[in-house]
Amino acid sequence: MRLKSQQKSLVMLLGAGSLFLLAFFLVPLLFVLSESFVGDDGVVTAARYMAVLVDEQFQNVYVRTLKMALVVTVIAVFAGYPTAYLMMKLKPSRKAMLMSLVILPLMTSPVARTYAWIVILGRYGIVNQTLSVLGMTKEPIRMLYTEGAIIIGLLQLFLPIMVLNLVSALENVPNEVEEAALSLGSNKVGTFFRVIVPLSFDGLIMGVTLVFTGCITAYVTPAILGGAKVLTLATLMRQQALVLMNWEAATVIAVVMILTTLVLHTVMRRFRPRNQV
Amino acid sequence: MKNSKILILITALVFIFLIGPFIMIFLTSFSSDSIMRFPPKGFTLAWYTKALNIEMFRTTFWVSLKTGLAATATALILGVPVAYANIRFNYRGKNALELLFSSPAIVPGMVIGFSLLRFFVYVSNIPIGIGLYLGHTAILFPYTVRVVSSSLRNFEGDIEQAAISLGSTPLHAFFAVVLPNIQSGLVAAFILAFITSFNNVPVSLFLTGPGVATLPIQMLSYMEYYYDPTISALSSIIIVLTVIVVQSAEKLLGISKYV
Repeated sequence: MRLKSQQKSLVMLLGAGSLFLLAFFLVPLLFVLSESFVGDDGVVTAARYMAVLVDEQFQNVYVRTLKMALVVTVIAVFAGYPTAYLMMKLKPSRKAMLMSLVILPLMTSPVARTYAWIVILGRYGIVNQTLSVLGMTKEPIRMLYTEGAIIIGLLQLFLPIMVLNLVSALENVPNEVEEAALSLGSNKVGTFFRVIVPLSFDGLIMGVTLVFTGCITAYVTPAILGGAKVLTLATLMRQQALVLMNWEAATVIAVVMILTTLVLHTVMRRFRPRNQV
Repeated sequence: MKNSKILILITALVFIFLIGPFIMIFLTSFSSDSIMRFPPKGFTLAWYTKALNIEMFRTTFWVSLKTGLAATATALILGVPVAYANIRFNYRGKNALELLFSSPAIVPGMVIGFSLLRFFVYVSNIPIGIGLYLGHTAILFPYTVRVVSSSLRNFEGDIEQAAISLGSTPLHAFFAVVLPNIQSGLVAAFILAFITSFNNVPVSLFLTGPGVATLPIQMLSYMEYYYDPTISALSSIIIVLTVIVVQSAEKLLGISKYV
């Protein structure tokens, strides 16, 4: 009897949500994916994939996207760790204030946030104007629509994600552990790398995974700061779908995006300490 | 406590990098220069008047607001029972269902928008505005489940059990005991989900067309043609509103632990 009534409540609780996601998320997704394996003649084929994968522009864009994601992730780790570590050491009130500053870039409109970099890196932006006042440049340097601009924009978005993950991992490292290592003769740097980093490794792996996959699928930042000059996977997909009306190519790029994300998630999970979910 | 100077230097640079750009937008939004130039010259509110008077920004603001409210409400109505079931019950196939429930957060937003466009708008011919609402609801769903789950986890089931053993039906106990106790989690979920929807670009990108666009999409297309501080002014307004909402939510609910 009791089992029956539990089943009834489960159906009531989970039914609507499951049906919604099936109908308006999973089915459309599978429909589009399956479509990409069918040729114009209705036969199952990988031809659409081959056409995109051998294309040199696609290959360049793919490599560039991965490369930029890697650069952003590495910088985020090296800038994020000291920041998170210092924030942990602060008084709670100060830490809370910095936390609300960290989440600000995550909460503000991506268009507004990215637009700020146009103002900074533009022809008459603060960087170029400063360089010219100092007499270091004769003409403004073109900084917009470069890989560097996209990397900077992505960093502003993903550094906070890294910091948040590291802060929550460091919160679980007891203060005594560090004091013990120090009192046993380890120096500060040694303690950081041999005690703090291993104990917060899970947060680091989570941060790396989220930042790397986030960079690969980010759209607004490369759209504004790279434009059509420096395409990434996301902006190439949009171009294929909405400008060139090449749905097949857009679908293939979408699949590449999903697969890359999944592979990264799986690989990174292997690095995570056991007995943790 | 003594912290080494290099640590403080790196942290200071990180925060200048994260927050500086927002200050830059403010400065240029008051500039009387009609191109974006630093340092800004003069002082004018003209860009604010202009931004607020552009018809397309006004229409798309309402589209964003309506889509955000409707999608957030739907995602909460669907998500709260799911969160409750996952915290309170163990059942067969739980892992598979949990994967389904979290997958809209894993699949890239662009892919979700794209597949909804292909499937609904071209195959089933439903209006693009409905597609927009459905796509937003799908991506907000995992958010609401996660935030509500974490506040349910902090709420001990004892009071609920007490209510039930005193004669309340489980359904009544849910509305009279559980929901009031996770109120702050519900509000946090609402705020986070609404902001996510209001700022979203990747899903909206494919689910907008002539007559239906959201504010961020409209701002993007404006930027393709104009290079004046109007977008600075509009961005400043949006940023100030976000800061007010996020700061009060952080003070009252500690929203950063849910992000």
